[in-house]
Amino acid sequence: MLSPKRVKFRKMFKGRTKGLATRGAVVSFGHYGLQALEPGWVTSRQIEAARVALTRHIKRGGKVWIRIFPDKPITKKPAETRMGKGKGPPEGWVAVVKPGRILFELEGVTPEIAKKAMGLAQAKIGVKTKFVVREEAKTDEG
Amino acid sequence: MAIASLSAAARAESGKGASRANRREGRVPAIIYGHKRAPQSLTINAKELGRLLERIAAEATVIELNVDGATSRTLIREIQRHPFRKQILHVDFQELVAGEKVTVRIPIRLTGSSEGVRLAGGIMDQTLRDLEIRVDPALIPNHIDVDVGALTIGHSIHVSEISLAEGIEVLTDGDATVCVCAIPKAVVEATPAAVEGAAAEAPAEPELIRKAKPDDEEAVEEKK
Repeated sequence: MLSPKRVKFRKMFKGRTKGLATRGAVVSFGHYGLQALEPGWVTSRQIEAARVALTRHIKRGGKVWIRIFPDKPITKKPAETRMGKGKGPPEGWVAVVKPGRILFELEGVTPEIAKKAMGLAQAKIGVKTKFVVREEAKTDEG
Repeated sequence: MAIASLSAAARAESGKGASRANRREGRVPAIIYGHKRAPQSLTINAKELGRLLERIAAEATVIELNVDGATSRTLIREIQRHPFRKQILHVDFQELVAGEKVTVRIPIRLTGSSEGVRLAGGIMDQTLRDLEIRVDPALIPNHIDVDVGALTIGHSIHVSEISLAEGIEVLTDGDATVCVCAIPKAVVEATPAAVEGAAAEAPAEPELIRKAKPDDEEAVEEKK
């Protein structure tokens, strides 16, 4: 699973997600992409599950890019613990996603396989997403 | 060279509020600028623009823009889009001057089925999507075709190998790779035992970059 190798601080504030993605909102490497439609957190487990679903479906045929990285630590208090006594220990990592952000990209497969593979990945991600095709690819195909 | 026509109206008001009001009324804010002319703010019918952009290659098409009766030959320089909605926010037009060359980015289209993909199961990886060229507006190609039929596995095509029509000057570095016929990576399926092992070692925390202060218990624990 993806996680940072070195960090400056072990714990982070929860934060609030405002606005739209201004960076990473365009399909840049592959032909097809999976784009977030709402703000949220995508955990490292969800990213790994989606990656496995994508690579299993496309088998040996294509190339996958992961455009997000889970760099925000999430803490959780242990079960049956009374409130207080400070923030709980780190539990996992999430990527903060804003609407418009491209999460995954695919290349080297047919549109049908790409759509099906992204559909499988969509089911693993905790935010609403849609299947997108590179802009100039649309003009070429149309 | 492809030519299309579009009509626009001059726009007096500018700024965020006026632009949003225009978009609400189905008009897209735009601007026209160019050599030897003052920039002019415009609005375009959003539906008309959307229909036009669906059928043309925006970067490579000369657009005859009719602004309140006066026609000028232009190129689309930038299209600002909403991050995920099918909405165009703003368009930049550059007026073309007769006899002056322009710099444009033309999409590269791979043609043919590569030998490496057909016979050896390779993956065609296109690393360069467009080519920057300097050309007379009358000679702008819609796209640049690169034949990959003879490409074998492990080999690539570079910008210097692309043959173009006379009068087109390539500005992209000649050593840049256009596409590679890559060797497919073997998919390693994780065994249940390996998955369990990975889960067991998962809680390891990353190393701290900062120096631990003597009174900082968390950081001291981390160091241990």
